[in-house]
Amino acid sequence: MNKKKNRLGPGVRLSIILLAVVGIASLLAPLLAPYGPNEMGPAINQAPSADHLFGTDSMGRDLLSRILYGGRASLCIGLMAAAISTGIAMVYGSLSGMSRRWVDRGLMGFADLMLSVPQILIVVFLQAIFGKSGYLSLALSIGVTGWMAMARIIRNEVRRIRETDYVTAARMMGGSFGYILRKHLLPGFLPAVLYAAVSSIGAAMMTEATLSFMGLGLPVAEVSWGGLLSDSRNALLSDSWWIILIPGIVLIGTLIAIAALGEQVRKGNTRLHSNL
Amino acid sequence: MNSRIENQKNPGIRRSRVGAAAGGLVRGLFLLLVLSLVVFFLARACPGDPLRSWYGDGVDRLSAAQKEAMRRNLGLDRSLWVQYGLWLRNLFQGNLGISLKYKRPVTAVLGSVAGNTAILGLLAYVMTFLPAFRIGSSCALKEGSRKDRRLSRIAVVTGNIPSFFLGLLLILFFTVKIRLFPSGGAYSYGMAHSLPDRIWHLVLPCAVLVLEHVGYYGLMVRNLLVEETRKDYVLLHKSQGIPREKILRRYCMKNILPGMIPAMTMAVPHILGGTYVVEMVFGYPGLGTLAFESALYKDFNVLMAVTLLTGALVIFCNMLGEVLSAAIDPRMRDDAAEFREVDYE
Repeated sequence: MNKKKNRLGPGVRLSIILLAVVGIASLLAPLLAPYGPNEMGPAINQAPSADHLFGTDSMGRDLLSRILYGGRASLCIGLMAAAISTGIAMVYGSLSGMSRRWVDRGLMGFADLMLSVPQILIVVFLQAIFGKSGYLSLALSIGVTGWMAMARIIRNEVRRIRETDYVTAARMMGGSFGYILRKHLLPGFLPAVLYAAVSSIGAAMMTEATLSFMGLGLPVAEVSWGGLLSDSRNALLSDSWWIILIPGIVLIGTLIAIAALGEQVRKGNTRLHSNL
Repeated sequence: MNSRIENQKNPGIRRSRVGAAAGGLVRGLFLLLVLSLVVFFLARACPGDPLRSWYGDGVDRLSAAQKEAMRRNLGLDRSLWVQYGLWLRNLFQGNLGISLKYKRPVTAVLGSVAGNTAILGLLAYVMTFLPAFRIGSSCALKEGSRKDRRLSRIAVVTGNIPSFFLGLLLILFFTVKIRLFPSGGAYSYGMAHSLPDRIWHLVLPCAVLVLEHVGYYGLMVRNLLVEETRKDYVLLHKSQGIPREKILRRYCMKNILPGMIPAMTMAVPHILGGTYVVEMVFGYPGLGTLAFESALYKDFNVLMAVTLLTGALVIFCNMLGEVLSAAIDPRMRDDAAEFREVDYE
């Protein structure tokens, strides 16, 4: 049997390795970081050297440590926000798919309405209202505004699955909505929504980075990749390229790796359903 | 026999395009109303004294009796729904309250910058889709070639670069390293009406927006065209001797429009959101900078107004998109339910 078609391409393998490295490094940040994330040293604006592998910023803080600790915040918030939006989308989409036509139309209409306003604007609105920020509140703000596209996909899949015999049998035998959702709907729409779910992690990370860059994300004491890039605005004038480029490359690399993973998930699912 | 089929069609569905457009308008207005409701109740959840946000700092100097009178005027002692009604009435009279930060009426603050955002957003939108169609069709023509694969990969990469970072990079290169373009603002001091100066200031922000989105939409055009070229009529035209480029540009492009128009409609909030972020990075005085600053300063009147304006614009573009879809593709019309997904009810 030809195993070749099941092997992952080089791009995907690189992405998985990169994500694993970033993930593990962030997890072990307290062990790996040579300095504290907010520890200000005497060396200001130093280019990468043996002492500080990624250099220091304008306040003498070691960039490598800040990137490690920042990875925790960014990854954590990205994953939480994606989980929240996927969860909301699953419930909302399933409810909409399983209900009567006018309820369905109303629910989807509301989702379309939420899609009308740019996500960044609503998140900014929510952040302004619920003042203090932490990982959870930020993840909530982003998650609560990003479920709409997935909900639509799920609703379409659910409408398809709902007509099958096993779902009809379950309903006749008195299966509750939660039971049908868990046992029949979820395995049905999971392949379709997996790509969107993985993409939403990347999108959530980008939104968090943008918010932190604007000063509307995590408080100044907490470090995240977006916050690092915000500090780097001052680096423009001091010509310290490492403050801008290194965090940026780390962030972009992670995002591209997640996107490649999502593509692989989509290709994997397509292959499953191929008839050849 | 034909008349029997005709009679089986639902006689209640309107056929006229004007009717469909009017229905769309009503739907759009209803959506706008719901949006105003959501925005209002969200803003009411915010902390802070509403009197201050409506009347500004002069509130401190008022006597208790005057404050009571103002409260009654704003309806703050009545139920939330009555307050909503009063707010809506004020809205229709053009009174959106006072901006806490700028100490001016919100409508004045918004009006002074809305035009800037409109220019940048429109320019970005057009400059995204024109090249997207061009490059996408060029890649589809040379499908599988090195150029096609390379451009597709570049498209994926540029789509994942955060717009603020791209902005920073461009400023670093074009303003700090080589002093070619300005780092911010919409116009140089005192040159608000000079067109060349405006364009000079627009280059970098627009470049960021275009680079951010052209990859995604170009890839979409390319994929749609690639699927289109698998169809039979393309083979027919090729066998008739029509050159490849002409088949692609003349026939396939038209056929992918039903797929591209929903995407172009969805692009409006995306590009608008991107415009807001880019404005903040470049210090470009527009709705985006206004929105972010009002969030930082808890200036809720301005934030609500910007949200409403943005929502109205996007809903309007959605309606436009629906009208266009119905015009070019009979399958998208209201009375064509039988062409669309099967109704399981």
